[in-house]
Amino acid sequence: MKSIGIWGWVATAILFVLLLLAPQLAPRLHLALTICTDVLLFAIAAMAVNLLLGYTGVLPFGNAAFFGLGAYGAGLSIQNFHVGFITSLAIGTLAGVVGALLIGPFLLRRRGIYFALLMIAFGQVFYFIAYRFTNVTGGEDGMNFTRPALEGFGIHLQDAGFYYAILLIFTLVVAGFWLLVRSPFGRTLVAIKQNEVRARYLGLNTDRFIFVALLISAAIEGLAGACYGLSIMFAYPLLLDWHQSGDIVLMTILGGAGTIFGPLVGAIIYVIGEDILSTALPWWQIPLGALFVACVLGFPKGLLGTALDLLPGRKNRIEPGHDLDFAAPIIADRETTR
Amino acid sequence: MSDLLLEAKGVGKHFGGVHAVEDVSLRVHAGSINAIIGPNGAGKTTFFNTLSGFYFPDAGHVSFIGVDVTRAPSYDRVRMGMGRTFQTSSVFPELTVYENLAVGIQSADNLSFRFRTLSRAQRATLDQKVDRLLGFVGLGAVAHRPLAELAHGSQRLCEIAMSLSTDPKLVLLDEPMAGLAQAETSRVVSVIRKLHAELGLTVLFVEHNMRVVLSLAQQITVLDRGRVLAAGTPAEISANAEVREAYIGKEVIEHV
Repeated sequence: MKSIGIWGWVATAILFVLLLLAPQLAPRLHLALTICTDVLLFAIAAMAVNLLLGYTGVLPFGNAAFFGLGAYGAGLSIQNFHVGFITSLAIGTLAGVVGALLIGPFLLRRRGIYFALLMIAFGQVFYFIAYRFTNVTGGEDGMNFTRPALEGFGIHLQDAGFYYAILLIFTLVVAGFWLLVRSPFGRTLVAIKQNEVRARYLGLNTDRFIFVALLISAAIEGLAGACYGLSIMFAYPLLLDWHQSGDIVLMTILGGAGTIFGPLVGAIIYVIGEDILSTALPWWQIPLGALFVACVLGFPKGLLGTALDLLPGRKNRIEPGHDLDFAAPIIADRETTR
Repeated sequence: MSDLLLEAKGVGKHFGGVHAVEDVSLRVHAGSINAIIGPNGAGKTTFFNTLSGFYFPDAGHVSFIGVDVTRAPSYDRVRMGMGRTFQTSSVFPELTVYENLAVGIQSADNLSFRFRTLSRAQRATLDQKVDRLLGFVGLGAVAHRPLAELAHGSQRLCEIAMSLSTDPKLVLLDEPMAGLAQAETSRVVSVIRKLHAELGLTVLFVEHNMRVVLSLAQQITVLDRGRVLAAGTPAEISANAEVREAYIGKEVIEHV
């Protein structure tokens, strides 16, 4: 893996300065601060997708199951046990992990498009559970709850305070992600993405690696969902739905799967694009859809991935997000074992 | 003869109604170079795949270092000391040569599940092991180039080095010379000789190139239509009338 170099660090620093100044800058751009918060929330969710899609080579098309579980985990724990801010986020994260523990063993039996379809199907199970268990989840109407006070300080984070809390979480996730994809585990995931058969013939039980990647992804996704629940103080079944999954996958691919900040770029374009376009056009999804099609056909590395390639001295840069292999072969020995 | 390393007994594998391999047995002794030859469609690669765990056989048994591995997953066989290459080079195309080798070395050193970057000492050990493999196959000059940018022969050499990265006792090479130019072939042949002579490894390979097989192998198994036609030393195989008629052109043998 090539290091990002001095300009990469400069660009990252500028990015974080802008994110720090967002509460001051947003009103001048006629953006609500909640939109900026949403950008960060969905950037975290898209990073969870990126770990699987961009670095492991599996297609998490039912990822919103973990996102929604995070929102419900936070909401239910606040409503029933009156937990604090951080605890509710921790419970939301845990809810995502538990979801992955339940469905992971089934997903791992397949690869490629079949993995994606299985994940959508299992994701819909959670959707219908939330939809049907009206007395617990409020069913179709969803459930309201209040944003609890921050443990130890007794303050209720609002507006800029809440934004900075989410920015802190985003920063921690980025740092952790950056370390993870550079670790032997992260590099092994990239190897599995490129050639799973070869990885097995290097003595690696690839199922185990993909399972752990799924658990980490679900934790990040659950955390993002919990943050979203606290942001809107509401949880509803559509958060678990496959449409929600599709939006998050779209952000990841748009920004650039296999790059650290691609998900943030995708989330900025999607969330702000939706905010601006949806007030102006009733058919706002069409231009976003067109951009997505252009991306998949013309820039499979996404906007950030393509932009990085255009930088001088990066001609031969090859990143793990290079190809989106939607029909990866299924391992032969799996076929005969099971 | 020395210790038995790999043994296949009565192995059979069919795909639907096609019996690709039927009742094939093979014994590979430690420290030997063995070849499997046969015409196209003889079941060489299928048999090879049952030995390495890519397929599980429908009949028969495979044992490796005295352990029955008939239905053991590929990664367990690798951990027991079996390395393999594929007919079409199987590598990580977008990773550099260094990284390709590092994946296997970290696997063998039980570092693949490490979530933090390597310590300075671990990094130094890894560098040292990668350098040794690079030197062995002569790819030091391209260590930091992605595999996709390299010539076919270099990719093949890298794949052989990858099969060594997990510290094997036995190396299975599936048509290591397939698709290589003359100069590349002789380079791969010399590497295989070094595997045996310098590292003391046991080698089993599938090959079409008769000249290579007769000059390299100590034991040869001839497959034809999924069955063993003959087995023996190069001299015995060259002299076998059945083999000569079924597979090997007379002139080839006279040339060697």
